[in-house]
Amino acid sequence: MAINKQHAIDPDKCTACTICITACPVTAATRKFRGPKMTGPALTRLRKLVSDDDPMLDYCSNCKTCDLVCPSGVPISTLNMIAKNEYYKTHPRKSKADDMLAHSEKMGKLITALPLGSTFANLGMSVGKSFGVMGAMGIAQDAKMPSYASESFISKFKKIKQTPYPRKVVFFSGCYINYNQPEVGTDLVKVYQKNKIEVAIDENFVCCGSPMVSGGYIDDARVNASKNTALLKSWVDRGYDIVTACTSCGLMLKQEYQELFDFEGMAEYAAHMYDSIEYLAKLHDDGQFDTDFANDNTKYIYHAPCHLKVQAIGRPSMELLPMIPGIDIEEADVGCCGISGSYGFKADKHEIAMKVGSKLFNRIKNSHAKLGVCECGTCRLQMENGSGVKAIHPLTVLRQAYGL
Amino acid sequence: MLKTTVVVIGGGATGVGILRDLSMRGVDAILVERDDLGYWTSSRFHGLLHSGGRYAVKDKEAAKECIQENTILRKIGRHCVEATESIFVRAPEDSEEFEQEWVKSCAECGISAVPISMDEAFKLEPNLSRKLLSAYRCPGAAVDGFRLLWQTVASANKYGGKAMTYKEVIGIETENGTVVGVKIRDRWTGAEEKISCDFVISASGSFAGEVAHLAGLSVNVKPSKGTLIAFNHRICNRVVHRLHKSSDADIFVPHGSITILGTSSIDSAPDDTSTETAEVMAMMEIGKITFENIYDYRILRVFAGTRPLYSADPNAKGRSASRGFVALDHAHDGINHFMSVCGGKFTTYRLMAEKVCDIVCEQLGVNAKCHTAEENLVDDPSPDLISRAKAVFPSYGAELASSRLGNEKLERVIKRIETQPEMKELVCECENVTLAEIEEVASEPTSHTVSDLRRRTRLGMGTCQGTFCAYRSVGAVNKENMPWAKDSVYLFKEFLETRWKGIRPVLWGNMLRDIELTRAIYDAALNLSGVEEIK
Amino acid sequence: MKKSDILIIGNGISGLFAACIAADMGKKVQILSYGAGTLTIGGGIIDVLGYDDQGKFIADPLKGMDGISANHPYAKTGAQTAKKALEAFLKITEEEGYPYLGSPDKNLWLPTAVGNFKPTCLVPRTMDTEALFKADNILVVGFDTMKDFYADMATKNLRERLSKNKNVEEFIVKLNFEYGRDLRDISAMDVARWLETDEGHRSFVDQVKGHVKANTAIVLPPVLGLEPNYKVLDSLKKELSCALIEVSSLPPAVTGTRLNKMLHSCAKKRGVQIIEKARVVGSEIIDGKCQAVITEGFDRQRKFYAEQFILATGGVYGGGIIAKIGAMSEPIFNIDIEVPKVQTDWSYKQLFADKKQIFAQYGVSVDENLTPVAADGSKPASNVKVVGRSLAGYDFCYEKSGNGVALITAYKAAAAFCGEA
Ligand SMILES: Cc1cc2nc3c(=O)[nH]c(=O)nc-3n(C[C@H](O)[C@H](O)[C@H](O)COP(=O)(O)OP(=O)(O)OC[C@H]3O[C@@H](n4cnc5c(N)ncnc54)[C@H](O)[C@@H]3O)c2cc1C
Ligand SMILES: Cc1cc2nc3c(=O)[nH]c(=O)nc-3n(C[C@H](O)[C@H](O)[C@H](O)COP(=O)(O)OP(=O)(O)OC[C@H]3O[C@@H](n4cnc5c(N)ncnc54)[C@H](O)[C@@H]3O)c2cc1C
Ligand code: SF4
Ligand code: SF4
Ligand code: SF4
Repeated sequence: MAINKQHAIDPDKCTACTICITACPVTAATRKFRGPKMTGPALTRLRKLVSDDDPMLDYCSNCKTCDLVCPSGVPISTLNMIAKNEYYKTHPRKSKADDMLAHSEKMGKLITALPLGSTFANLGMSVGKSFGVMGAMGIAQDAKMPSYASESFISKFKKIKQTPYPRKVVFFSGCYINYNQPEVGTDLVKVYQKNKIEVAIDENFVCCGSPMVSGGYIDDARVNASKNTALLKSWVDRGYDIVTACTSCGLMLKQEYQELFDFEGMAEYAAHMYDSIEYLAKLHDDGQFDTDFANDNTKYIYHAPCHLKVQAIGRPSMELLPMIPGIDIEEADVGCCGISGSYGFKADKHEIAMKVGSKLFNRIKNSHAKLGVCECGTCRLQMENGSGVKAIHPLTVLRQAYGL
Repeated sequence: MLKTTVVVIGGGATGVGILRDLSMRGVDAILVERDDLGYWTSSRFHGLLHSGGRYAVKDKEAAKECIQENTILRKIGRHCVEATESIFVRAPEDSEEFEQEWVKSCAECGISAVPISMDEAFKLEPNLSRKLLSAYRCPGAAVDGFRLLWQTVASANKYGGKAMTYKEVIGIETENGTVVGVKIRDRWTGAEEKISCDFVISASGSFAGEVAHLAGLSVNVKPSKGTLIAFNHRICNRVVHRLHKSSDADIFVPHGSITILGTSSIDSAPDDTSTETAEVMAMMEIGKITFENIYDYRILRVFAGTRPLYSADPNAKGRSASRGFVALDHAHDGINHFMSVCGGKFTTYRLMAEKVCDIVCEQLGVNAKCHTAEENLVDDPSPDLISRAKAVFPSYGAELASSRLGNEKLERVIKRIETQPEMKELVCECENVTLAEIEEVASEPTSHTVSDLRRRTRLGMGTCQGTFCAYRSVGAVNKENMPWAKDSVYLFKEFLETRWKGIRPVLWGNMLRDIELTRAIYDAALNLSGVEEIK
Repeated sequence: MKKSDILIIGNGISGLFAACIAADMGKKVQILSYGAGTLTIGGGIIDVLGYDDQGKFIADPLKGMDGISANHPYAKTGAQTAKKALEAFLKITEEEGYPYLGSPDKNLWLPTAVGNFKPTCLVPRTMDTEALFKADNILVVGFDTMKDFYADMATKNLRERLSKNKNVEEFIVKLNFEYGRDLRDISAMDVARWLETDEGHRSFVDQVKGHVKANTAIVLPPVLGLEPNYKVLDSLKKELSCALIEVSSLPPAVTGTRLNKMLHSCAKKRGVQIIEKARVVGSEIIDGKCQAVITEGFDRQRKFYAEQFILATGGVYGGGIIAKIGAMSEPIFNIDIEVPKVQTDWSYKQLFADKKQIFAQYGVSVDENLTPVAADGSKPASNVKVVGRSLAGYDFCYEKSGNGVALITAYKAAAAFCGEA
């Protein structure tokens, strides 16, 4: 879609109606944040005129709930991220954690490259914590950090033997699945194979850049966007559709790239991008989705990640999973979990993140569900962290129901 | 009865400049303004501190005056001037010969015009049309009309000069062919009083004819109306001129958080500040040559002012009347110690005052020389004050407020917040105006309406055009129990209707959405206009 | 191919209410919406008809509909349907545990944040304005550091308006919230959240108690909780033994947010599928019937099929009608709306005119079945109905009829599509 670049950076569409303020979860949780309307469109006007200390800017989590409710199509969260990026060009960062959390791929690579690296890293996380190392780095002391898998998804993928099918997708796994939860990736391959789809991956894909953008490192994200765009475009040219199983990666690749950057081919490949479950739901619409499910009598509670909600695709998981015989699944429907990628891991944001998520945690606890379901990796971590109930990807639910 | 040496009629740029000059020369003077300071042309203008570039080819004298005064005002009025610089750009439709002549003329007038590559121009101003052909950097700037007027008066106050607002001159009294005083009427109370004086200077701009008439004279002013379009954000960070023979809609001036495009020229009545959609459209079409995406930018409002063009020939029209300024000594018409001053430019207001005051002082036998170019209008806020401001104002507020308020008022506003931190609450979230500032300004004796507060603070000048700050400011002045703030409904309507005037001709897109919101709040939710029939 | 029975564009009050009604009648309903509706800023107070065309107060809104001008939405629905619709709304609020007060045939006078009164019809129990008129003592309660409510202005204006034998006093509750440069202003929503906590509740009661005399009604900004229930109201009422009345105020709207949440949950419970951020840009019409509407995002266009369609896109403000220079149109079904070429002819010189504003009445024209009619008299799609703010022929600000028109037309459209006359 030809989205005029001009509109991404100009604040003219806002009518100051305050609808976004009623929806922003961070505004509700803390007065340290000024809220979407002010931080975004209103102050964008003034930032063209003066610069000043603006510690509030750091509190926007880029969850995009504001974008979801704005009737005027103001790219509020993106205005915030652009402002953050500009701000840190001239102001010192408050914490070292920003850099580390924004560049999660670097860390993932480092750790998995070591023999037994992940074991050490995961160990190191807790050891480090007890000595206050994490605190010094600006990581919340009691935040549960993602742990690293002993073998990356890419390495696991190479060992899978697939049946070739004419329907082909390229899977953009993203860092979280690649380094932290490769089993979500392998579940995708199994579920897709069951549905007669052949899955390809591309080792040259780099981190989508979502944590960089949220951390105010848009210039770094630009480098990644340029690489990924060229690759994604070439896959689409070869007749592949693109799927993601992490909603933040998906949103970044198809929307935020277009809002922030101007590379050839972005709109073309975006037309072929799907969330992994959305893709299956589309198969279902066409009567080609395999419903050969075994019974699953588990009680689940589903949380829709904010970054899924803004994709205008509804709730594909809530279309497919209820088809599993015996399943008991309901949608939590109480808003953001609070983690927003890496936001909730930061020392000065952790409390806010937990406060934002508290409604969800209570909802999960009160539901007496055995498992949580959610497309987003860090959301799942936050759900587990806050409620004590384990959470899994909907692909995993499907894989189990297929008996694979 | 009030008594002074000189009465200055009119609180526009010309009048306040004269008041300050006289006061600094030690001449007792009172300025009387019928409305608020700057209510007419001195705020309904483009806000350009001319570099002289616009006049370099046609009128070298004017160009030289501009660059000279531009340099002075950047110094003495630094809190009113945004030293943005300007860019002159030539479009394909503009003559190349003119460009060459212009470059030569600028050099002759001492106006720096540095050629830059178009790449550089696009880097400086990314929104410029890619069709433009050449560009020069000049020392133009933006000037805030309201602020300059109030700071000029503040400077005059220090030397004993007084300005009275909402006092209309309704009579000029003479004895034996010499002025002895003026009769004034208070616009709010209707009370009339007399000021006796030795000299009257009418600096009443487009109304110079009406004022002269009070003394039975005629002054032939041909008001010429110009329309201006205010856009919601800074489309450019420098003044952008078309490099061609001066014409309509060829200048964009970035002004605080907004951009103003102007202007046009049609004969009008002195108080005609209406705008027609057709004029706006015609200007947009021309503006499109400079900024090709102009239709994507949101218009905030449109407004118009009238140029007080003087014409010795009563049959002259529009642009043919002189844009220079005239000082008419009515001794020639049979009344001594009465002068009318009109025309000129905002940029040269100080110089005009100097010339007029030289004449007046000579007649009054005062020898003092003009010092207005040497002294700043207001003192710079001390670094200490700035850091105190930074500690209490919400982000992006300190700098804007300190240039708006000047030293003393700034300190009072800071004190309000220091003692009551919640006073930093934003009344106007679009322009970052705090409750402390509103209460401070509201308590000044010159404030009578919320629009007065707007002119002093930029309240309601941003995106929402008063939709939210109307309630907040009316509530705030009510809380302060201002004597003028008795009738809440009147205050709301006065403020919102003036905002509406500027939106009505451009009622489409987001402007219409915004007005829907305004009406929904003030009519649907707060029922400002429905009759109430409660038992 | 996936297809719903009824597809609704817009999730404002009219879209949500139509969805609830249709789903109740057994239909499969889908809502596409781009942005939240106006409820979160618009108060959630149901005005039905407060003034006639001459600005005369109407005591009974249903009666007032009798002589209404022919192109007014109420002329298409009639008083009978209006009554049914409003009763259906009252019933839903009852079922959802957030019952509204009032009756379709009677207007109430509700205090506003200015301290004057506006006519309205149905209100949440937090706005039980009749209690105000019964009370001898009115206590206007403000909060010392809260934005957007000036207790002294409200007190002054209420005092001027209420009969002499009422005693109107003012009291300011201290919030004791932290304050500083890097903490934002305090909104009614913050105070509402505070009153939901035990600490806030206690503090409020302790501070106000001593000022409540016998037969007192407290008038306060909308702060009695953000959830669609009366927990905060009921507990305060009990402890203070007096009525509490929230005023009609400016955005963001605490009371509207409550109704918005209630309607959403009501729709979801009834199996309505809501797809957010789905901007509808066009439609596919074959032989005068709409087959599908088309959404567009950053990725690609999508088609959504249905038997019947309800356009609930909120007019100019909601984005459902686009106003351009000298032109206006409904973009989804491509309906041109006739407007004067010259912009200044769209309005009167005074914004707050003594009659209905011209531009406020622009919208999609419909026949008596709410089916859109184009300027040339043709009907672009027979299975489409238009409801709420996108309709032509009324000025909700002048008349005080916004949410009323939305509910009543939504009801009529949904019921008609479900085979009810
Ligand atoms: C559209 C437009 C754009 C312009 N742009 C620029 C620009 O960019 N740069 C620039 O340098 N110049 C510009 N000018 C020119 C400049 O604005 C004017 O020359 C200047 O503001 C005139 O000031 P003034 O004091 O003479 O008149 P005014 O500002 O009109 O002041 C006259 C005052 O006299 C008062 N008055 C009248 N009658 C009475 C009475 N009986 N009793 C008491 N008071 C009375 C009026 O209320 C009024 O306030 C522009 C002019 C126009 C019209
Ligand atoms: C500040 C304010 C105060 C008010 N106060 C009152 C009051 O006190 N009493 C009263 O009765 N009324 C009041 N109103 C009026 C009332 O709120 C509205 O008339 C009513 O809400 C309109 O409802 P609606 O459903 O028609 O439109 P909306 O609530 O505006 O909903 C329109 C929906 O359509 C969606 N939409 C639009 N275009 C598209 C598209 N292309 N694709 C997908 N979705 C789309 C929008 O995103 C939105 O969700 C007030 C309004 C405002 C703004
Ligand atoms: S992105 Fe999320 S945190 Fe940031 S302003 Fe929007 S709603 Fe608030
Ligand atoms: S950004 Fe959107 S939702 Fe927020 S105030 Fe502006 S128009 Fe309203
Ligand atoms: S982490 Fe998940 S739910 Fe939470 S903010 Fe992201 S996408 Fe939203």
